Amino acid sequence: MEKVLSIQGISKKYGRIQAVDCLFIEIQKGQIFGLLGPNGSGKTTTLSILLDLVRNDAGNFEWFGKPPSKESRKRIGSVIESPNFFPYLSAVKNLKIVADIKDKPYDDIEEVLQITDLYDRRNDRFRTYSFGMKQRLAVASALLGSPDVLILDEPTNGLDPQGIAQIRDLIKRVAEKGITIILASHLLDEVQKICSHVAVLNKGKKLFDGEVRDVLAVSELLEIASTDMVQLQKAISMHPDFTSIIRSEDKWLVYFKDQIRPAEINEFLYKQGIVLTHLSERKRTLEQHFLELLRDNS
Amino acid sequence: MVRLLKIELKKILTYKVFWILMGLYFLFLLLGILMAGFTINNWIDNLNKHSPIPFPHVTIYFFPDIWQNIAFFASIRYILILPSIVIIILITNEFTNKTIRQNIVNGMSRPEFLLSKLQLIFIISLLITFILILGTLILGMANTSGYDMTIMFAKISFAGGFFIQLFSFLVFAFFTGFLLRNTGLSIAIFTLYALIIEPVLYFILKIPKLQPNNISQFLPVNSVIRVVEYPYFPVLRKLTGLNVQEHLSLLDCAVPLIYAIVMVGIVYWVLSRKDL
Repeated sequence: MEKVLSIQGISKKYGRIQAVDCLFIEIQKGQIFGLLGPNGSGKTTTLSILLDLVRNDAGNFEWFGKPPSKESRKRIGSVIESPNFFPYLSAVKNLKIVADIKDKPYDDIEEVLQITDLYDRRNDRFRTYSFGMKQRLAVASALLGSPDVLILDEPTNGLDPQGIAQIRDLIKRVAEKGITIILASHLLDEVQKICSHVAVLNKGKKLFDGEVRDVLAVSELLEIASTDMVQLQKAISMHPDFTSIIRSEDKWLVYFKDQIRPAEINEFLYKQGIVLTHLSERKRTLEQHFLELLRDNS
Repeated sequence: MVRLLKIELKKILTYKVFWILMGLYFLFLLLGILMAGFTINNWIDNLNKHSPIPFPHVTIYFFPDIWQNIAFFASIRYILILPSIVIIILITNEFTNKTIRQNIVNGMSRPEFLLSKLQLIFIISLLITFILILGTLILGMANTSGYDMTIMFAKISFAGGFFIQLFSFLVFAFFTGFLLRNTGLSIAIFTLYALIIEPVLYFILKIPKLQPNNISQFLPVNSVIRVVEYPYFPVLRKLTGLNVQEHLSLLDCAVPLIYAIVMVGIVYWVLSRKDL
């Protein structure tokens, strides 16, 4: 597989706050890679470092197997935070400036404006656009000149439901062309719907990464209790599908990799001489799961 | 190089504020130059009221001295301040619209960004100088009778002096705007410094007992103003005994350019290290 991005231990400190903490990430060609984390987890800082907006204190990274340069950035289309354009210029003129910087011809401008549904307003000044249109122009600008990589930082932030649907639909259509996409989001649901791979960030650290179906899979959760809680913890950790355990008041919350039958667990523990005083199955929402991932590792 | 200039021109060509301020600048420039002759003769009239021998009126619009006279009036700090405000707006716009970030993200390197702005300042200075040369030629031909080519262009080097003045003054403005990033604040501080703080500083430093070495002439804005000095009026020269500048001085031209180079160096240093 072709490596698009390789991040080797980058760190960034803002005063006393460690925004990015020794981050390692590898992204392969064709992946739709989600950077998932709450606000302030270092997603935007990481992307800013990758695009030469922010200087990292330590570590380094490579785009397309080479040290970062303006040439590598010309192959990347980015939507970073708010849409940044000259307010007094029309969409077409703003995009011409982008094409000039990227050394790309103007031929694509019409197409990207049509894809983003801005073609009818192409000659209006940027300042007359609604927020949704501004955001779509940012996407249009990112798509200009057929980039190899698309970076989207919270692309649906602040949009109304219709705008969110439009942007997500757009991302899916772009992804079908085989462009590598890096999507930063604090919305688990968004990453789950769109991405193939994900890295979960919190306080600048990477907690997990891997395929979305592995990392964000809804593992099974059981609530158990016994008279001897310590021995129970020891016994249950021996189970082949066991992943993790959390104390919740007078019960253990136990996570398993696969679908678990409570009866099987009961039998497994009974064989080790433990009699359960409590056993119940709990279904979690994705959101809960995400919050638990963050909490366990903070 | 051409690519960067193309980008910069796209940013300003349909920018109304740019054209309004530049139009205003040319209006002030024209008024300043045309009023200058009138004002001087008015002053002579007043002088004649108390003088037994009347002084003749002067014209400042004859070849070859017109080159120096026009360059002098065009580089008065009150007139230079207008194009410098334009430059401050153009650079601070990049920060307030965050388009500098977008430019870098899209594949412009940081040195390229600096180069693109310097190119723009250079081209604007060159264009204004060119217009000034054209205006000087027209005004000179209309007011000088019986001239030949050698006399006509004898002092055209003062137009070059004006270019150095304009270019370095605009680099000062760029420097201020780049460091402060805020349009209103940059304009306020730059104008305050150039029009009030430095003149005050100049006179304090000029008090001979305080400052025997005449360091005041090396203040940045003053170093720009000094490049083209008081115009050459034969009559007034006799009248006042002022020491009149005949040629551009190499040192006077070098000082503002050295300031400009140092400022560009600082901008380069800050730009290559700072987060945007």
